[in-house]
Amino acid sequence: MADIVLSVAASHAPGLAGLYSGAPEDTKAEVDKMYGTMGAEITAADLDVLILVGNDHLANSRVLEYPNFLVGMAAEHTGPYEWFKPWLNCRDYTLEGRPEVAEALISGMARRGVQFFGRRENLCYDDNLSIPTVLCDLDTNDVPVVPVLMNCNVPPIPDQRQCYAVGEALGDIIRNDLPNGMRVGLFGSGGLSHEPGGKRYFFIDQEFDHWFMDMLEEGDHDKLLNEATPERMEESGAGGTAELFAWFVVLGAIGNQPCSRLGYTAYDNFKCGVGAVRWQMGS
Amino acid sequence: MAFEQVDKTLVTHDLVQDLKWDADLRAQFEADQTSVLDCYALKPEERTAIETGDFRKLYEMGLHPYLGGQLARLIYGNAAGPDATRAVNRLIASLTGEERPDDRTTT
Repeated sequence: MADIVLSVAASHAPGLAGLYSGAPEDTKAEVDKMYGTMGAEITAADLDVLILVGNDHLANSRVLEYPNFLVGMAAEHTGPYEWFKPWLNCRDYTLEGRPEVAEALISGMARRGVQFFGRRENLCYDDNLSIPTVLCDLDTNDVPVVPVLMNCNVPPIPDQRQCYAVGEALGDIIRNDLPNGMRVGLFGSGGLSHEPGGKRYFFIDQEFDHWFMDMLEEGDHDKLLNEATPERMEESGAGGTAELFAWFVVLGAIGNQPCSRLGYTAYDNFKCGVGAVRWQMGS
Repeated sequence: MAFEQVDKTLVTHDLVQDLKWDADLRAQFEADQTSVLDCYALKPEERTAIETGDFRKLYEMGLHPYLGGQLARLIYGNAAGPDATRAVNRLIASLTGEERPDDRTTT
């Protein structure tokens, strides 16, 4: 029986690296606090693997053949992908992969009736993996990672209930299929409100962002599952806010654990509400 | 634009994804856009919309907004800062029909 010893979730946006230097000082301080705290806690958790669930930005599969879940099976994950480098303006990185864990996820999901696809070659990583990596120093602290990229963009997308159910299966795999004593961390990467490519590209729905994070802290998963619908996500940012369904995978895996926010900031030029939460595991 | 309006079969999706994945094709697109567009079975109005930067028309035809944002970067500039900001503002201007300065960074 492996153990989930750490669970966090946070926004990603290219601007968190590429436009960081031009951001207001209070915004930079909030970003430093959020990602610095997560990075320190991830390092202190001495993980055998960090399973990072985040949306794919149409970077790895054609629109006509788009998987809902795609696991990075490579022995090493490198990034950012070449075309995204000018957006991100961050360091190149190499992360240790855990192919055997990736295989266990894919086969374990199949036994539980969930379709996970995998790719042995390095995937194209943009801000989904790159921002957590460079802001939390996952690469320099040698944190082994298995990325699970999901579909939050190509309709029909898996909704909050489907993602929560996938998370429950993920938790079951970790507890029953992975080796005894393995220390597992979970990272939900995506959101908060934003509308990439839309009329409201610069809009950040702060009211929604606080409403959502308040619900996480309240810990009422039934309320979350009833109210954080794809329609509500679309209202606060079409094609972007639904990245928060990655957080529902984490929620399903860990069940009802106390949640606290690590911070929040809304800076127009990031084009995304930026927040982070941590769940207290083992309570 | 709602998800439901996305036409997954729109050929422009393949064009944008190929340009993202293929540096040589991207260089060709920057040097000679016509020769690249000739390689794709675009509808006449779809091709005209790309050539004129008419994102509103492309979205009406079912272009995925995320790839619309990336097409704007491929046309107007990809680097963080002024390049990308210009691309975002020209995209929004096309979608809304309202003029926007290239350096605006607010709604």
